[in-house]
Amino acid sequence: MIRFENVTKVYDQKARPALDSVNLEIDRGEFAFLVGASGSGKSTFLRLVLKEDRATSGAVYVAGQNVANISSWRVPRLRRGIGVVFQDFRLLPQKNVFANVAFAMQVIGKSRSIIRDTVPEVLKTVGLEGKEHRMPHELSGGEQQRVAIARAVVNRPGILLADEPTGNLDPTTSMGIMGVLDKINQNGTTVVMATHDDDIVNEMRKRVVELRNGIVIRDEARALYTSMMPVVGQSRRFKDASGRPDGSAADPGDGPVSSQPGEEL
Amino acid sequence: MRLAFILSEIGSGLRRNLSMVVSVILVTFVSLTFVGAAGMLQLQINQMKGYWYDKVQVAIFLCGDGSTAAGCATGTATPEQQENLRTLLESPAVAQYINDFQFESKDDAYKHFKEQFSNSPIVDSVTPDQLPASFRINMKDPEKYQIISETFSSQPGVETVIDQRQVLERLFSVMNAASLVAVIIAGVMIVCAILLIATTIRLSAFSRRRETGIMRLVGASKTVIQLPFILEGVIAAVIGAALASGTLWAVAHFFLGEYMSKQYPDTAFISPAQTLILAPALLGLGATLAGISSLLTLRRYLRV
Repeated sequence: MIRFENVTKVYDQKARPALDSVNLEIDRGEFAFLVGASGSGKSTFLRLVLKEDRATSGAVYVAGQNVANISSWRVPRLRRGIGVVFQDFRLLPQKNVFANVAFAMQVIGKSRSIIRDTVPEVLKTVGLEGKEHRMPHELSGGEQQRVAIARAVVNRPGILLADEPTGNLDPTTSMGIMGVLDKINQNGTTVVMATHDDDIVNEMRKRVVELRNGIVIRDEARALYTSMMPVVGQSRRFKDASGRPDGSAADPGDGPVSSQPGEEL
Repeated sequence: MRLAFILSEIGSGLRRNLSMVVSVILVTFVSLTFVGAAGMLQLQINQMKGYWYDKVQVAIFLCGDGSTAAGCATGTATPEQQENLRTLLESPAVAQYINDFQFESKDDAYKHFKEQFSNSPIVDSVTPDQLPASFRINMKDPEKYQIISETFSSQPGVETVIDQRQVLERLFSVMNAASLVAVIIAGVMIVCAILLIATTIRLSAFSRRRETGIMRLVGASKTVIQLPFILEGVIAAVIGAALASGTLWAVAHFFLGEYMSKQYPDTAFISPAQTLILAPALLGLGATLAGISSLLTLRRYLRV
């Protein structure tokens, strides 16, 4: 469903690449976590899938199509096949729950009757039955994120990208959200979720792809947040640090890394 | 559905940005009024030129019923006097200065008069008898007017010889200068309008960036995202152009039609209906300006 072939993304010629020769394939119907520190390239990965950015080299295939070959006027069609969920929900504050979800259908020209039928169905899927007429500020964070998920999947995309969807939520609420994402995945949607939340990753036991400094350092099925093979991680980390002419910039620690582009998806 | 959606987006955009929209309307209104004023002056010049102005320079008016000039002792010019004048015009001494000439009978004169003064009440009180017949002469060199004047003024049956250019040229040069000034002011105002429209669209795009961001993500087409913004600017500019057209019509109707034509009954003024031919041009100009400036702005400030 999503295939990266030797993908490198350089934002700034002087800095290290945000993604460095990434090879990755995520199959149809798969559920994959994308983990790694801030600046490790998770958001860049998602941006490349959406064709928000163009890969510096290599090829990104989405649903079998090389996104570099999609002309700009057909990019909307690509994006209709991809739902996106963010940490900050991004709901329209002056529209109620129903209108927020309906908005995604209106703007691509779906008829009123289809919208009337589909939206309640999707709201039921995410567990928001009977809350159609609430305004976003009357909802809890978890409920707002469910609205955002409903909006992302209402057009039945084949792929759902989630960029730290539980980042603003407490652990219990987060598990609820994960349940929704899992249900959507069960219905056949490919889900790629970038996250920092180790509890969730450990709980879900799905495929985990770990990025560090733009390099895939781990790709395990049904894995945990932290690698069960620390030696590989250690050696890679050591090699990375030694391979840098500028030692400070290559600090592989999990602390905040300044001037790392690619976080504003 | 999509159309309804775009229309509702336009409506909400106009409401949210009301003060900016009003200023766009006013600026396009003022700038297009100046454009229109320049156009109106040109129309007025054409109106005053009448039938003969561009074709001939000198008119030899023949004696009419009430003529009191020295050459008119015998009353209305007789056919023989007309023939003599025609012979004289064709004689080599005179013919070397003129390209050609035409004879305007009283009936022709009445016809042309009616055309030129069609907007004026004076047309009803004039009969063909009151208008003099004339020879209209197209000079090889308009500066040689004196020669024609000296030759014909003293001929029997000639009331007067007039160099029409001398009468109207000064007035026209003033009017041309005025329309040039109007065009310059209009140019400055149009720059102003373009910048204001660009700023308005920018503000509008900024205040709706949340919506447009989501539209992008769920795969709305470029048209659906951008069209509301472009149409907002175009609608405001078209309203301004309509106001400008209305103002020009009002000037032609109330100022020229009601006031000036009574003050100067012997001058032909343009009719209010004639100003309406400027309206489509103004509306088109307004819409084009707004469309182009919003397109350029959106390209920079609204990524799709």
